[in-house]
Amino acid sequence: MSLKDKYAIVGVGYTPQGKIPARTSLSFHLEACVNAIEDAGLKKNDIDGLICYRHFPASSDENDLTPFVVAQHMGIEPKYLYQDANCSRSHLQNAISALDSGLCNYVIISFGHNARSSDSMLTMLNEFTGDDAVFGHFGATGGYALAAQRAMHEYRTGPETWKHIAVGHRKWACLNPNAIMYGKPLTFEDYLNYKWFVEPFRLPDNCLLNDGGRAIVLTSLERARDLKHRPAVIMGLGGHHPSTDIKYSTSMTGPTGAKKASEDAFGMAGITVNDVDACEIYDCFTYTVEITLQDYGFFAPGEGEDWFKGGTIEPGGRIPVNTSGGLLSEAYYMGLTPLSEAAMQIMGRCGQRQLGPQTKTKNPEIILCSDNGGILQSHSCSILRRL
Amino acid sequence: MQRQRRDTAITLVLYPEEVIIMVYNKPLPKLNPDVKPFWDGCKNHELRFQKCQVCGHVLWPPSIICPKCYNKETQWIIAGGHGTIYTYAVYHIAYHIGFANDLPYVVAIVELDEGPHILTNIIDCNPQKIKCGMDVIVVWDDVTPETTLPKFKPGR
Repeated sequence: MSLKDKYAIVGVGYTPQGKIPARTSLSFHLEACVNAIEDAGLKKNDIDGLICYRHFPASSDENDLTPFVVAQHMGIEPKYLYQDANCSRSHLQNAISALDSGLCNYVIISFGHNARSSDSMLTMLNEFTGDDAVFGHFGATGGYALAAQRAMHEYRTGPETWKHIAVGHRKWACLNPNAIMYGKPLTFEDYLNYKWFVEPFRLPDNCLLNDGGRAIVLTSLERARDLKHRPAVIMGLGGHHPSTDIKYSTSMTGPTGAKKASEDAFGMAGITVNDVDACEIYDCFTYTVEITLQDYGFFAPGEGEDWFKGGTIEPGGRIPVNTSGGLLSEAYYMGLTPLSEAAMQIMGRCGQRQLGPQTKTKNPEIILCSDNGGILQSHSCSILRRL
Repeated sequence: MQRQRRDTAITLVLYPEEVIIMVYNKPLPKLNPDVKPFWDGCKNHELRFQKCQVCGHVLWPPSIICPKCYNKETQWIIAGGHGTIYTYAVYHIAYHIGFANDLPYVVAIVELDEGPHILTNIIDCNPQKIKCGMDVIVVWDDVTPETTLPKFKPGR
């Protein structure tokens, strides 16, 4: 039986974000979760499912951040408890599966990390890269740079395409007082003036590294109707996990997991790419946005630059993308940055950056979202709607 | 005083005058039963790969099964050391102190003639001259008495 229009995001939890010293990763999980529960108009005893995004290696002054610890501190004993370990992004599918099978009724998905102020990311960098470090290959930037360089070889793309993505995201962030890059506009010239980081990427091609947390609450549409906000209804879902490490991959220029995942999501929703009003795309790097939208069918390989040109994804544009500023310019919470923003837009709670007449964009009836893990190894696509 | 750092195999020898001698301060490969034959081959200046005895697929990374046909019988072959650059990235920042003096350096994926995609460095070449599809040939870098790394330079 189809999962279309049966479940919804009903609450979003925020925390302070940016450089917030003297806070543990756990504290950000807890603050985000508690705020999400309150935002939904629920009580802690309602929550019977908890899904945590992976924890990066604990900082040297913190213990391992498991979902046990989060549940313990929240004073809950969930019926469904789960955490991924290596960035496979199936959290939304897991939440909906747990709800649909009747295992639980209200699920929280949470992420928290003191990435900016602790030594956790340094540990992560060395652990994640394994033997690649032998050749000086470290972290996600290098991996995505390899993919982006191959794309530049196969079709027309590169910094002239990606500058539209970096600048577009920054324009949205400048409408979002919560965004880390709020009040810090970026021009094409600024972008191109940055030095190479890991070529072909410059610093603004990289997502942010910040302290903070984010959580969302999901339940059935039936239950959602009794709650505080207009529900952000899940219309379509799809996942595809090519899994192969980037260094052995031949799909780094597409089709990536985004293609099959979106075909399933569109199939469930019964819509096409032409019905989408806005996108919230997992934008760990500018290139990730291009390859995802390309595999979703917005443009053919090599046509990205022309498609982005003229402010397509910006305020006032035809297909707004990453309206909070995204991972590039708002804050990094893995797939919860795009998902929480999609929910907030559908609920109509986005203030200055609200889609619709205020930003000279289409009303957000249908928003297409993505989550992506590893180096293009894991992809989830979801479609949210206003009902 | 002598101190061995677990992760980088840095050997710091502090003499009374506090002179520091750094032996090799970059990470070394993790040896496990799956990959050891490959790294033993490198020590002999040979690129060793498993070839599936049923479908002929050349496995990389090493494994106990062929991912194409699930056959368990493989034979080690020695690759010729020729290939082309599939993709590359030029590092202008050092994530690890050991690479600070190498900037800018090139990390690449080389597609070997035998099929495997191997992560490596391109050396003896101006990074700005590198292109995808360029012919490259293996160069052996004996970095420690126990470890040799396969790197590549332009040529056929």
